[in-house]
Amino acid sequence: MLSKPQKRISKRGLTVWKISGALHSLIPFVLAIGAIVLTFIFDWPMWIIGVALIIFALYAYLAIKVFPTVRWKRWRYEVRENEIELQHGIFIIKRTLVPMIRVQHVDTHQGPILRKYKLATVTVSTAATVHEIPALDLEEAEELRFFISNLARVAVDDV
Amino acid sequence: MSEPRRLHPIAAVSNVLKTLKDSIIPILIIVVFGNSEGKIQLFITIGIIALILISGILTWLRFTYRIEEGELRIESGLIIRKKRYIPFERIQSLDLSEGILQRPFGLVKMTIETAGSGLEAEAILTAISKNEAQQIQDILSQSKKAHIELDEQIETEQKEEQILYQIKPGELILLSSTSGGVGVVISAVFAFLSQFAEVIPYEKVFDELSVFITGGVMLISLMVFLGFVLAWLIALIGSVLKYANFTVRKVGDELVITRGLLEKKQLTIPLHRIQALRINENPVRQAIGYASVYLESAGGSLKDADSSKVMLLPIIKRNRIREKIETGLNDYQLTDMFVPAPKKALRRYILRGLFISVPVAVILLYFFSVWGLFSLVFVGLMLILSYYRYKAAGWTIIGNQLVLRSRFISKTTVYLRKNRTQSISMKETYFQKQNQLATISAKAMSGSGATGGDVVDLEVEDVLSIYKWYSYTPENTE
Repeated sequence: MLSKPQKRISKRGLTVWKISGALHSLIPFVLAIGAIVLTFIFDWPMWIIGVALIIFALYAYLAIKVFPTVRWKRWRYEVRENEIELQHGIFIIKRTLVPMIRVQHVDTHQGPILRKYKLATVTVSTAATVHEIPALDLEEAEELRFFISNLARVAVDDV
Repeated sequence: MSEPRRLHPIAAVSNVLKTLKDSIIPILIIVVFGNSEGKIQLFITIGIIALILISGILTWLRFTYRIEEGELRIESGLIIRKKRYIPFERIQSLDLSEGILQRPFGLVKMTIETAGSGLEAEAILTAISKNEAQQIQDILSQSKKAHIELDEQIETEQKEEQILYQIKPGELILLSSTSGGVGVVISAVFAFLSQFAEVIPYEKVFDELSVFITGGVMLISLMVFLGFVLAWLIALIGSVLKYANFTVRKVGDELVITRGLLEKKQLTIPLHRIQALRINENPVRQAIGYASVYLESAGGSLKDADSSKVMLLPIIKRNRIREKIETGLNDYQLTDMFVPAPKKALRRYILRGLFISVPVAVILLYFFSVWGLFSLVFVGLMLILSYYRYKAAGWTIIGNQLVLRSRFISKTTVYLRKNRTQSISMKETYFQKQNQLATISAKAMSGSGATGGDVVDLEVEDVLSIYKWYSYTPENTE
């Protein structure tokens, strides 16, 4: 049996995902408020308010609690000498293998929330595809970038 | 050739025509929506056309090219002067084509492509004489030889030409009559007719028709039938013009493809830039035992999708592909032995087919009652297609190539070499996991994008073995 990738992403990444889930929930929140206001103005039946609140609550629950947790639990990665392996996905679990000799370049980048939590996302590009390892410790991300770009460079000479 | 040269004056004509084509819509808008007096519009239109004419000529005057110090140097630009120096080593290919404008004057259009040119080809010489084109090609190949002296001998030995494929008239007709282009034209005709739907007073027409219709059904069916035949003929002629004289030659370690009747196109693909091989069998061609073969090649520009997805053998008997490919592309080895998707996958294939077709059918039945019954035909067709998708699903590994076969509508077989594959993924959904099935997906490079193959619902053990085969870590590959 093939060994599965072992490393997890930072626990703080989970917090960041929860925050961005909360930010995303603002949209159904505004829509729900809108629905409630309109219900009062136009004397619509009261059950509309209930439905709007339930939809909002469900969305928020999924976006803040369920999806980030499952996503975090599923996310595994491993950078070996010859290849990078990723495993992720909420409904569809996807395992990807990227040989080091195919790597063209590595980037790290941060959004505002990631920066606040000293995290960064590493992007690995091949000639055809782009792969992302999200929410890594800033130091780890830098290390990884250095490590991968070194290995990738060595390998290019081999081909 | 170190003195700057201009393109043939035909290039100016080509410039003008191209800009005119691009600005035809603004001009039309001015003409249509201008005030009713019409004089101002006339002046504006004439002014625009005059401007286009002058700028076309000036652009031509400004455009010079020369070969100097191992570089192709192009200077151009009307207001902003552009200098583009392309070192020979960076030139990947020179493609020649002859358009309708170029042919009467014995000229060619040369497209120069370099590695990783993004949005557009690196440089285009719109009209130069065949002589000059030959000169440039010679200088280029000589300078490349000078760089790699060791290879020179081998190259001159191997430089012999070998005709790999030449389309026969019968095949050309077969290709044209079974191509997807036919469908495009038919739907274009329908789209065109549906434009009139609002103009034609159908109800009135129908009232009159109902009297006439008993005798007229024949006539109408005949008209519809003739429409189809006409659409099909148009597509057929277009396709014949495009693929006439399709020839593939192997020159040294390059493939040279030429085609076209009115507009001759030539395409050169170095063998080492080939990323993947794809065999395509649409249902009609499959039924009569024919297939087409495509190459995916690196480089080429985004705009010109043609240069990365190359039709190598437009139409060929299935059993002759192997011989052609194995002489032409020494790297690829063809096979007919596939590991199929397991029996338990059939249920999922069928369900996926019903998943789309049944709701559609239900909705149609609900709204159109009797006429909606026709949607059951659609359900039936989807069932048949699902079964054939299941039958097509398969994979195999021979040597260092992974072969994936699947069907959307056409049956597609993709050959990917391990060292040309950029990444491999396996996917499992919850339901797949219950049945120990998984999806394999392999990606290779094509132009500046990605291509590849996917096969859904293979045995999970099989998918893992492909995954292992691709892994570079020893403990995985044991």
